[in-house]
Amino acid sequence: NMFFVTLVKFPMSIVVCVQLALHVFGDLLDSITVDVASECHRIARLGLERNLDEEEEELRLSAQARARIADPSNNVEANGKYVVDIFGQTHPPVANEIFDCMNCGRSIMAGRFAPHLEKCMGKGRKARLKATRSSTAAQNRYSRGSPVSTYSPYSSTASINRLSNGNPRAATGECSNGTVEEP
Amino acid sequence: MLKNRRQSVNRPPTPDLTDDRAKVPTLQEVINIKLIESGEKEQLMELVREKLTDCGWKDEMETIVRAYIKKQGRNNVTLDELVRVITPKGRASIPDSIKAELLQRIRTFLVSAAL
Repeated sequence: NMFFVTLVKFPMSIVVCVQLALHVFGDLLDSITVDVASECHRIARLGLERNLDEEEEELRLSAQARARIADPSNNVEANGKYVVDIFGQTHPPVANEIFDCMNCGRSIMAGRFAPHLEKCMGKGRKARLKATRSSTAAQNRYSRGSPVSTYSPYSSTASINRLSNGNPRAATGECSNGTVEEP
Repeated sequence: MLKNRRQSVNRPPTPDLTDDRAKVPTLQEVINIKLIESGEKEQLMELVREKLTDCGWKDEMETIVRAYIKKQGRNNVTLDELVRVITPKGRASIPDSIKAELLQRIRTFLVSAAL
């Protein structure tokens, strides 16, 4: 037994010294161990380790999605509006969310917004073609751009965008008009 | 002495009131005080921390902890648990050179403290 051999061969003070040193070292190590554990514990409990849960959730979702694709009964278009996408959602053929047009303030259905905006801002082809024909119309185009520095596309005060001629045209509607300030 | 309640905290038994007056600090306590007062303890801590980080020991311990947390669920672990998990492994995987160097330095301090 090493302890007794040591006791016999070496003075007690040396043994004590070695033991003390080991004890001190153990203390230091314990402190550092607690620090490491504590930091990891904190990160875990505060959910700061983003990888953990997110990865698992994503893996789960993608496995689900793959399973759904593999299942042939989901993809039949003959179902009409009941086509199911890879997340198991169905979507109507025309987007049916309703919101307010930022130009004229009317309530518009999302799926009908593009055609509405065409008319609302001055229809793409027909209105512009009519306008370029007359020279006064050309003048109108340049004077129309009174700089509206408070113009915000998302404000509901659509009246800002109305001009004295009564036609609702957005101040930033036409890029050829260089007098308009962008917000 | 009856101990019919499970102790949640590891605590040395309350000392008897009778030998309060004759309390002598242990050698370990004396040394600890000297270490702290001289600033040597703090220096040693920094030294050990640095060495253990550099050699990858800290990362190794963190990996073990994280694996354990992932297994148990992050809201299902106590600090005590985590400390218990890595303490034995931590002690065992200290590189010998680091241990030897630190012990040498501590022994030197002890000798000088004894003078």
